[in-house]
Amino acid sequence: MNSNCPINEHLNRRSLLKSSLVTASGASLMNWGGLFSSDAHAAEAGKKNKHCILIWLNGGCSQFETFDMKIGRPTGGLFRDISTNTGESRVCELMPNIAQRMDKLAVIRSMKTSQIDHPGGIYLMHTGYQETAAVRFPEIGAIVAKYCGEKKSDLPNFVKISSNGNAGAGIIGPQYSPFSLDKDGRLPTFSESYLATPIETRRHGLRDFMEERYAKAHKAEPARMHRESYDRARRLQNVRQAFDVDSEWEKYRDRYGNSKLGRRLMTARCLVEAGVSFVEVGQSGYDTHADNFEGHKSLVPTMDIGWAALLDDLSERGLLQDTLVVWMGEIGRTPRINNRSGRDHYVRSWSTALAGAGVKGGIVYGESDKDGIDVKDKPVTEGDFFGTVYTALGINPLEENYAGVRPIPLAPFGHTVVKEILA
Amino acid sequence: MKSFHFVAGFVCVAAVAASTVVADADELRASIDQRIEAAWQVNKVKQAEPATDAEFLRRVFLDLHGVIPSREEAAAFLDDASPDKRSKLIDTLLEHPRFAIHQSDVWDLIYFTRNPPGYDTDKRQGFQNWLREQFENDVPYNEWVKSILRAEGDTVKNGSPMFYVMYKSQPEDATEAITQKFLGIQLQCARCHDHPFEEWKQTDFYGFAGFLSRLQVVDVGTVDKQKAYAIGEMNTGDVLFTGPVTEQKRGQKGEPVKPKFLGGDPLVEPELPEDVKDPRNFPNGKQPPAPHFSRKNALADWITSPDNPYFARAAANRIWAQFMGKGIVHPVDNLSPANPPCHPELLDELSKELVAHKFDLKWLIREIVNSRAYQLSASGDNTEAMPLWFERARYRPLSAEELFESWLLASGYQDAHKASGKEPEDRFNVRGFTWDYMRRFFGRPNDGMGNFQGGMQEHLYLNNGQIHQLISKDKGSLYDYLATSESPMEERVERLFLQVLSRKPDAEETAQFVTHLSAEDDQRNRIHEAIWTLMSCSEFRFNH
Repeated sequence: MNSNCPINEHLNRRSLLKSSLVTASGASLMNWGGLFSSDAHAAEAGKKNKHCILIWLNGGCSQFETFDMKIGRPTGGLFRDISTNTGESRVCELMPNIAQRMDKLAVIRSMKTSQIDHPGGIYLMHTGYQETAAVRFPEIGAIVAKYCGEKKSDLPNFVKISSNGNAGAGIIGPQYSPFSLDKDGRLPTFSESYLATPIETRRHGLRDFMEERYAKAHKAEPARMHRESYDRARRLQNVRQAFDVDSEWEKYRDRYGNSKLGRRLMTARCLVEAGVSFVEVGQSGYDTHADNFEGHKSLVPTMDIGWAALLDDLSERGLLQDTLVVWMGEIGRTPRINNRSGRDHYVRSWSTALAGAGVKGGIVYGESDKDGIDVKDKPVTEGDFFGTVYTALGINPLEENYAGVRPIPLAPFGHTVVKEILA
Repeated sequence: MKSFHFVAGFVCVAAVAASTVVADADELRASIDQRIEAAWQVNKVKQAEPATDAEFLRRVFLDLHGVIPSREEAAAFLDDASPDKRSKLIDTLLEHPRFAIHQSDVWDLIYFTRNPPGYDTDKRQGFQNWLREQFENDVPYNEWVKSILRAEGDTVKNGSPMFYVMYKSQPEDATEAITQKFLGIQLQCARCHDHPFEEWKQTDFYGFAGFLSRLQVVDVGTVDKQKAYAIGEMNTGDVLFTGPVTEQKRGQKGEPVKPKFLGGDPLVEPELPEDVKDPRNFPNGKQPPAPHFSRKNALADWITSPDNPYFARAAANRIWAQFMGKGIVHPVDNLSPANPPCHPELLDELSKELVAHKFDLKWLIREIVNSRAYQLSASGDNTEAMPLWFERARYRPLSAEELFESWLLASGYQDAHKASGKEPEDRFNVRGFTWDYMRRFFGRPNDGMGNFQGGMQEHLYLNNGQIHQLISKDKGSLYDYLATSESPMEERVERLFLQVLSRKPDAEETAQFVTHLSAEDDQRNRIHEAIWTLMSCSEFRFNH
């Protein structure tokens, strides 16, 4: 059985995908047998050698204190804007590092979505759909795991670090469920075997005896899946070191900013490098109904350093061209500043940003009106946004999964892909 | 090959072929087997061998009680030589209190799912107790469904109103749920547009929602220390219909739609007295008054009527699926013309007989589990979890509840607890054990279509999680027996298998486990490993 061999004898997923890209044909992949058994989309493999890192700004980051400043307007707030390395766009002074990476970003300043509260917004901006009792919609992470992930990898394909959203894999099945690390990016409860290797091996031997005998007489699919999942859980022990980033953190601590968020972002880079297809990293605290400016002053600079370091790091390693970095929260914040110096929930006009795989850098797409009350030009709905993200990842957003008999496209019907920001 | 219909003319041919079970010809079980076997012949399908006694034993316990048999029950059945011991066991199991407990678990989950949408529906003991009582008292299915849909009283004392609480202020969601769960109809497409390939129009959807649009969830205060709700119904108000979603304009006002029975006539309502005036909201803290005329009750009566063309059929199909793995129409909540039954005459007969037997689910269950079709083996080369022609027993992952209670029995945790003289524990509240983890790791083993979706996470739990805490070492536990018994190791291994897998080990298994347990080194771990192996293996994970 696979699980008895050490990790270095396993197919390295990155090298496998590289070599398959060179041959770029179904025939050469035949040798790999089940590796592309995922409905044998072998010919499309090249398109799907993609990863995604989602930076999730929980609570809803303010567009006015990041990418959509309204200097001199009553809605503008306290901060100044600064110039960027594209020469055209200007961003908030809280983001000096991102200002110098605007050539890599496609910022959407015309988000217009439908869920104004946190639970609804979190669900919406993870699935592209409003929550209903009838359909369990899958999260973006599960979708990327399914369409970009390598099934035979020892690593889970959908990893969450201290983030939100509980839609999970929904109708596409728990094998794409998020594998959640703890808030410091370490492995969670029950993922560590408490047995010494010889004892675990002995135990496995006895179990294997039962399983093999059972498998001989019982060929049914569920039993096979059960055996394979056991194997994957056991193989996770082989790749535990992928989650052990302590020594890497020593080296990169300063670069990512010495913060929890920085460490999570660096962990995301390490996991993508190891072959994980989707990593979601959360930063909480943006729900600034009171003291919006203080709040953003304490959160945005940490995020600015970490995000910029992530882009540089991915880029230097040649990973950025295959990795889409998505920056968003569930909602934006109100133009009106309330009597507690806060900004409330707002979804008529807000901002998100993309960088890396499949998107053009140096773009600011869409525009809000002079006070940021409504979208003036090129509104982007949640459907449009997810359609664009999936397209950038080489996934057809109209691909369907089924909720019973009802076909569910990955991004809702009627969406429009924002082609202008795609490479 | 994929044709779902078969020729009725073959039925007689097959009926002659097999008749080993002593059953009255007019019993439904005989007819089930005739029809199932005829379909094998027509479709040239080779059926599996009959289930062994041990296979049958474990399967029927899990299906009727939601838990494996105890060691004593298993031994008694396996050693019984009487020819009718299977039907006798079935009769015993059906009259045991566990039958009601398990059935109410099953139906409660059908209605509420693992994650009901809020409003305290996760704390619904009132509903669960009420539902269990319906099974304990053999209340006919149509009667208790009527109670759910009439929703009288409150959610704590009466229980049944909890169903509507889930759909607070959402008559459209309630419409989708009621049509799916009670009638097997997928109406949700018609919420936004006329159904693309079925007869349902948007007006059908909103006609149905019209029965429900006057409902309000009323907070009636605290009853028995729990928050209680009641369902109030206004005298006025209609659902508004704005046409296909794609043609809707911002700020558009809809047209009121009158209630209309699905596929039938509009509701005829008595004239309202002139001076009727509804409050804006029913006041909290007291039971809302009944309306002059209840649309909700009219709907409840129509749905549960023996003449309703969908109701009995949907129920018969659901019961069949519960025991046979998949419905005669699969999935069970889509009895659409576009999704035909694999055995149409059988489904007709089950539905007709269910009505004739006054919606007695226990009777129907007894007939199904007494059939040869139910009592087929699970072994063989067929890889399907739920074989199309029911030619082999299905594979069904145990639910979180089944798994947990079966583990307690298998490890002897319960025996040890009893032996200790401590107070009995709540069903899912066991010391040092977190039920929430069970929900998280095992709460949704299916994709909603009956397909097993167990992933890596459940094995992290099985390999490294709290299952190990259930392998009690206390006096009276299986571990304690294996560690302290003076009996020959062969005998101890036999008891290990009987207690965990409800069967005796074969010679190879005995040899392997005797060797494992007889080694001199590391005794403690070895015993634990042996028990864990049987509690976590595929044979335990599934009902097959």
